[in-house]
Amino acid sequence: MKDLFFIGTIPWWAIVLIALGALSALALQFFSLKPRLSGTRSALLILLRGMVFALLIFLLLSPALLERKTTKLRRPLALLLDTSQSMGFAANSDSTQGGAKPRSRLDLAKEKLLSGKEPLIQQLGREYDLRIYQFGNGLAPVGADTLPQLSAQGRGTRLLEALGEASGQIGDRGALLVFSDGIANSDIKSAEDLPSFPVPIFPVGLGETQGFIDIRVADLKVPEFAFRGREIKIDFALEAFGLAGRAVPIYLNRGQNLLSSRNISIDKDTFTQRVTFSYTPKEIGSHSFTLTVPLQPGEQISQNNQQQFKIEVQRDKIRILTLSGAPSWNYRFLRMALKQDPSVDLVSFVFLRTPTDSVDVPDNQLSLIPFPIDELFLEEIKNFDVIFMDDFSYRSYFNTLYLEKVRDFVRDGGGLAMLGGARSFDSGGYGESPLREVVPVEMNGRGTYQTGASLRATLTPPGKAHPITRLLPDPRANEEAWKTMPYLTTLNQVVRGKGETLLMAAPEGASGGTPLLTVGRYGKGRTLALMTNDLWRWNFVAVGGRESPQNHLKLIRQSVRWLAQEPSFEQVQIQPVGDSNAPGEKMDFKVRVLKDDFTPAEHARVRLRIVGPEGEPMNLEALAATEPGDYRTEFIPTREGSYRLEAEAQLSGKPLGKDRRSFRVAFPYGELEDGRPRPELLKAIAEKSQGQFIPASEWNEKSLERISAKLEAQSPSQIVEQRQIQLWSNLWFFSLILALLCIEWWLRRKWGLV
Amino acid sequence: MDRRSFIRMLSYGLVGSAFTARRLGAAEQEGKARPIQFVFAQMRYRGGDWNPHPLAITPLMEELMLRTSVEAATARQEMELKNPNLFSHPFLYIAGKYDFDPFSQEEIEVLRRFLSYGGFLLADDALGQPGYGFDKSFRQQMKRVFPEKEFTRLPSGHAALRSYYLMRRVGGTRMVRPYIEGITLGNATPVIYCQNDLGGAWERDQLGNWVNSCSPGGEEQRRDAFHLGINLILYAMTENYKEDLIHVPFIRRRLSR
Repeated sequence: MKDLFFIGTIPWWAIVLIALGALSALALQFFSLKPRLSGTRSALLILLRGMVFALLIFLLLSPALLERKTTKLRRPLALLLDTSQSMGFAANSDSTQGGAKPRSRLDLAKEKLLSGKEPLIQQLGREYDLRIYQFGNGLAPVGADTLPQLSAQGRGTRLLEALGEASGQIGDRGALLVFSDGIANSDIKSAEDLPSFPVPIFPVGLGETQGFIDIRVADLKVPEFAFRGREIKIDFALEAFGLAGRAVPIYLNRGQNLLSSRNISIDKDTFTQRVTFSYTPKEIGSHSFTLTVPLQPGEQISQNNQQQFKIEVQRDKIRILTLSGAPSWNYRFLRMALKQDPSVDLVSFVFLRTPTDSVDVPDNQLSLIPFPIDELFLEEIKNFDVIFMDDFSYRSYFNTLYLEKVRDFVRDGGGLAMLGGARSFDSGGYGESPLREVVPVEMNGRGTYQTGASLRATLTPPGKAHPITRLLPDPRANEEAWKTMPYLTTLNQVVRGKGETLLMAAPEGASGGTPLLTVGRYGKGRTLALMTNDLWRWNFVAVGGRESPQNHLKLIRQSVRWLAQEPSFEQVQIQPVGDSNAPGEKMDFKVRVLKDDFTPAEHARVRLRIVGPEGEPMNLEALAATEPGDYRTEFIPTREGSYRLEAEAQLSGKPLGKDRRSFRVAFPYGELEDGRPRPELLKAIAEKSQGQFIPASEWNEKSLERISAKLEAQSPSQIVEQRQIQLWSNLWFFSLILALLCIEWWLRRKWGLV
Repeated sequence: MDRRSFIRMLSYGLVGSAFTARRLGAAEQEGKARPIQFVFAQMRYRGGDWNPHPLAITPLMEELMLRTSVEAATARQEMELKNPNLFSHPFLYIAGKYDFDPFSQEEIEVLRRFLSYGGFLLADDALGQPGYGFDKSFRQQMKRVFPEKEFTRLPSGHAALRSYYLMRRVGGTRMVRPYIEGITLGNATPVIYCQNDLGGAWERDQLGNWVNSCSPGGEEQRRDAFHLGINLILYAMTENYKEDLIHVPFIRRRLSR
């Protein structure tokens, strides 16, 4: 198809003047011919000349032909299929009925795309430049042939981010067809926060809001840490949809043990109630808890009926048990030091009376209480962190069975300190008891308790760096502090120290000496042996010498913390691990390793073991960092859940210790928490992008035609190609003018005018 | 602790006692070599009469060893406030009848330091005349040691009256005051003062006869004096041990009988 139009390069008034000039010329010519020719012949010649003038004036108007050619293009269309975990939920309540596996939202999407005489995916491929993507946390292209194999595994739905990315890839003339349930758990979740979209989006909404049946444990608020013996609150919201009139139980379990339960009556179809459980942890460590609501009939989502969480139970105070064989100044000042320490909870037993002592009054006039042997050693021992045996001999009070319990207590991680005296070490019969292997000194059954000496305590090389004997931060000042400590008058002889001897006792001015303070390990626990009951002299006698009692107090405070394995007194310390990592994000673990003398261990072998949410172990080796004693490694978690990190270090084959921390890996949103479809978000997206929302239930053969029509109305897919042909340079016009002039010339010649 | 726990604990205790009896031989054997844990230090001061009952301490120490697990030196240790070994003996006894010379400022500071950091002072008025003699001097000196503090009557539930015996009365050769007084610093009472002449009640001559009679309570009053002496020594060595929660229900139960 061609259209004539004038380009008009010469102004119109010039054309009019030229036309008037031409008419004038024709009139003059007619009147000049009239006397010489007949009127008919004159008119014929004037007509021929007028036609020439008319053609020339026509050409002065710059005539041109516009040629149009129409081409239809295939519009780009991105098909986005949501493969996040929520798409694995049942498509509707009907699909949960019966015993068969319910049809998921993703199954429904696949059905819409792949079933029928000519599947939708084929129609789209025929009519559009089709690109197919799946999205969850990110956007990924997929082939049409792989659609049947897609599964709902995405840990999150970054819906809006995926739409933005696909819009950018598809170009301005494209469109997006999105199959999704509308659950978006990225930073942008609501319609109000929507960005503008450059292309129309046609969301197909999967999942039903009407008849949606679900109950879930939501908005869980629990402390990450709790203190042993202190009540904690476990607060959460119970949300229910479509379950009005039912009463449901909620169970709180620790591991397999039921801790508490409650019945909640649901009185509305959309129901929310906050529920709080109280729980008092009694054992230290990392404990897993579960909140469970049983699956209700017709419920579409079972995954959100349960919430698991971990609480790290710590001691708020170090619980210490002291057993003293008799009232003594050592007990008096030990008690004073422990009572002054706000982080210590002290339970002490002092044997005020021996079996050989007689009293002159009935028992009810004595304040003595029975020694609760069974309760203490069989039941309560596990609740203590450290036991002090202060000049205490078991032989007068119980048999070795109970000492075996003490041994087990230490083996399982407790701390044991044996302080000297006439009832301690060999003098207390421990050289032949189950504690012989536990106490960090070697006893041969013949060690004696000596009094009347004047002994000075001297630091050994390990003692100079050990946290127990580090009274002052400066090493030299620390050594000086030890030199000024009052002399001791009593000593329990032992064969040798089995662990690290931190202090030696020697007469004034003498070198060497015998072990005075030795520390060691037994199983998971720590042990300390102080071969004197004159510890109190480092307090009160020092005060008499105008010194501070602080050295005594600090020694006890540091001993207690070391025995209780306070983190700052560990040789292997995992540096704090953040708890906000998402799967796929790199985590950096740092471990500090110290030698037995608490100097940095530079050539240690540091192994890390990470136990994942399902209990799957992963082993890593940490490498030395730039700082001496520091070791680092990296880890990329792949799944959400609670992880436990264990670090173990060895130096020349000798274990230096272990540390353990737990951390949680989670997306900043919960894909499985709330499975309600969000058609309102999809509608808002469609409106904002000038697309159209189509519920999956309303999708039919006409839907695609409607989409095409809407797209066509917005921007036609036919492209018209136009070509301009200028006529002034056309040969036919030139020939026609030339022919008219030639005829005129021939007639003039014939009629004798030339 | 509830009633059931108490009964169970009591039964454990009985089991422990039964076992203890079987081990008596071993305990006795250990007892032979017991070194001294407690030395009764008596303050010697200038003026007045620092030693009204020279034979009082040995009977108390013998009683202490007979009734309790404390192994004590039978002889007292005489101690001046300027003695460099003062702080090796955290228990200090001061007795007297008459006015005595004021302590020097250095002695006041030593005594303040001694009492503030864990030492214990038992004061015993052998004259028994409130406001006169030893009572007057001692109160003046203690005012110098702790100007902000006053002597107060110790309540019947004070740990010093429950540290071994559950005491309802105090003893002495006379009953000037049916209670004891003390100066309390924080949770502890490092100074305890009795005006009933405890030392007189403890004193026995070398033939084993009581030197002083006790009135009006007679021998029962003497026994109370020994009980109080033992309690105060154990209080000094165990501080508020008997105020620990584990002891409270037992003591309350026994006192209610």
